[in-house]
Amino acid sequence: MSDAAAIALIGITKRFGAVTALDRVDFGLRAGRIHALLGENGAGKSTLMGVLFGLTSPDAGVLELNGEAVRWQSPRDAIRAGIGMVQQHFSHVPALTVAENVALGGRGRFDVAQAAAEVTRVGTKAGLAVDPMARVADLSVEAQQRLEIVRALAHGARMLILDEPTAVLAPGEATKLLAWLRRFADDGGAAALVTHKVREALAIADDVTVLRAGRRVATGVVNEFTAESLARAMFPEERETRAAPRANPQPGAMIVSAERLAVRGAPGEPGIVDATFALHAGEIVGVAAVERSGHTALLRALAGLQTPGSGRLALPPEVSFIPGDRHRDALVLDFPLYENLALRHLGTRHGLMRWPAVRARTSRILEQFQVRAASGSSRARSLSGGNQQRFVLARELDAHPTLLVAENPTRGLDLAAAATIHARLLDAAHAGAAVVVYSSDVDEVLELAHRILVVHNGVVREVPVTRELVARAMVGAA
Amino acid sequence: MSALESVLAAMIRTATPLLLAGLGELVTERAGVINIGLEGAVICGALAATVAAPPLGVAGGYLSALVAGAAVGVLMATFVVVLRADQIISGTAVALLGLGLTGALYHDIYGAGGVALTVPTSRSFDIPVLSGVPVLGPALFQQPLMSYMAFLLAPALAWFLYRTHAGLSLRAVGEAPHAARAAGVAVDRFRVGAIIFGSALGGAAGGVLVLAQSGTFAEGMSAGRGFIAIAIVALGRWTPTGVLVASLVFGFATAMQYVVQALGWPLRYELVLTLPYVLTLVALVLAPRGAAPAYLARTD
Repeated sequence: MSDAAAIALIGITKRFGAVTALDRVDFGLRAGRIHALLGENGAGKSTLMGVLFGLTSPDAGVLELNGEAVRWQSPRDAIRAGIGMVQQHFSHVPALTVAENVALGGRGRFDVAQAAAEVTRVGTKAGLAVDPMARVADLSVEAQQRLEIVRALAHGARMLILDEPTAVLAPGEATKLLAWLRRFADDGGAAALVTHKVREALAIADDVTVLRAGRRVATGVVNEFTAESLARAMFPEERETRAAPRANPQPGAMIVSAERLAVRGAPGEPGIVDATFALHAGEIVGVAAVERSGHTALLRALAGLQTPGSGRLALPPEVSFIPGDRHRDALVLDFPLYENLALRHLGTRHGLMRWPAVRARTSRILEQFQVRAASGSSRARSLSGGNQQRFVLARELDAHPTLLVAENPTRGLDLAAAATIHARLLDAAHAGAAVVVYSSDVDEVLELAHRILVVHNGVVREVPVTRELVARAMVGAA
Repeated sequence: MSALESVLAAMIRTATPLLLAGLGELVTERAGVINIGLEGAVICGALAATVAAPPLGVAGGYLSALVAGAAVGVLMATFVVVLRADQIISGTAVALLGLGLTGALYHDIYGAGGVALTVPTSRSFDIPVLSGVPVLGPALFQQPLMSYMAFLLAPALAWFLYRTHAGLSLRAVGEAPHAARAAGVAVDRFRVGAIIFGSALGGAAGGVLVLAQSGTFAEGMSAGRGFIAIAIVALGRWTPTGVLVASLVFGFATAMQYVVQALGWPLRYELVLTLPYVLTLVALVLAPRGAAPAYLARTD
């Protein structure tokens, strides 16, 4: 086995309009090794992996496969060269079965039984079990990820690119996936692990590369780095510090009380059964749960969007909700900001619009909450993800809610933008609101919350704020 | 022929062009494109068959109808796939263009009044033995060759959609084009191919109207069959078998209007004709979400 990289990206440059997404970046994969690619959102990680997988063609730079220059016209060429990619947003067809998804992209006759046998064979060999006849839309997120890996392997991948694979997994599942990846590399595979979790990279990778604003700012074997040095490479400037220490506040007046509360889940999702808890002014209550645990029903009930099935739920008059999918549920992207501001509680208002007042309020909250936008007439789409979310939060906080329910409030944001969102949530609690935060990243819940409610299989219970106990309760192991 | 025989025969006859256009539209919609321009393909196919059949014969007429339909498909694909224009607006424009253009061409070729045309028509092809079965025989097995081909096309398409990789790719393109692209499927090529295939079958449906039914051309003789085909695909829940059954339902309703008129039932025959549309609406309401391709009519 030569020491040459199995595949190398050399001097890759990619521009999108005036923005340079990648600036002369080098990156490589070698058999038997896991190469972690670190960087905050927008650093260029996904673009670089797109180049490696043939999704993006670079403006400059070369790809070398075993020392020979190659060009990918499309992912098909990369797949043929033995590269597989598990994208952050899974790239399978939900309406098709597992076997059909694996067979997709082939030619000639399609034999269901043969495709299913192939899935089973590859899955068994790799130690990743998936039911070949299951409809993908019915699978858990973790199983969908397994499918993506099995599909890459079935297409002959010896080099795997995993883009933020643990972002969607519960802690236990993430550990299992990373252990699997280690075995894959030990058996002679090569892997690129894209992540922004420093600890994950240090624990599992052999090589580490850090990107910042499209440039490679650090690279080397893993033992040359520490958590501190990697964090410094990723974020040179100081992060915004926490707005308040963790000190548990004196619980204020009771804001929400739930007694033997039952809420029905959306189709295919469990609901909540027999939940009893109270929320008080001034505290941040974290909700931790893995996918399809019933937490969605809990959050919707707290936000006043769904009437409880049975039991008692007393809510305050002014409730604010930050939905998890801001593009779908919180903003009309092609409306200007002031019209988006006017959307709040639109269903309960009628009569004429007082636009001058709305515009004035928009300008005021843009300033007050430091939302970076050209003006209140800017379209929501023109704002960065962080500023969109800051705007959504500002719109809710400006109404001085007594209860604020936030679902994945920092999804898709880089750490600096996430930190300002965290600071706002803490401010809201300080100002006397009860704040409920759900995040699929359990570490975010642990960082923010004064108290934690874990939802598992529709059962809500309070768990002490320690990582181990919360993680165990989330998967029903406690 | 008994009344039952004539109803059955009329059902098959009127169902044939709807089935052809419906199966074409099914393929197009499975690729995520709703081809409102299909009506334009049907009328262009009808005119092409009218023009080509006298010198070239019936087969030449059908071939010309296919080519004319495919040409309309190329136009539609240019708007929808190449230029990424809105499917509904492009399709409506293409349908109206086809209707207007054929009217103008017909006047240019045959004069303002339209000459009494003598278009060769396809004779019925009696299937030995089966055509002798009482009642069913004359109705089902004494049909023009094109009817048999249309009804055999349904299982052939089912085989293609569910038993070939190309069929799988086509379904994936209509459900999740980004995922299909990542799997190495040439998404745009499938879309273009599906639109041209669907429009060509629309053209063939127009050919059937002229060569197997009326024996002449009239302005606007497609009479909304391209639009009905879109309803048929929905009523048939986006499967070949469903489209086949739905075509027969429409064909049956059309056949019933003759019965109602002939027997003098105290019932407006127009009401009978609305029955399939009512069924389509009911089917759309009752259809579980996810029956339609997830990316249908989307341009992003």
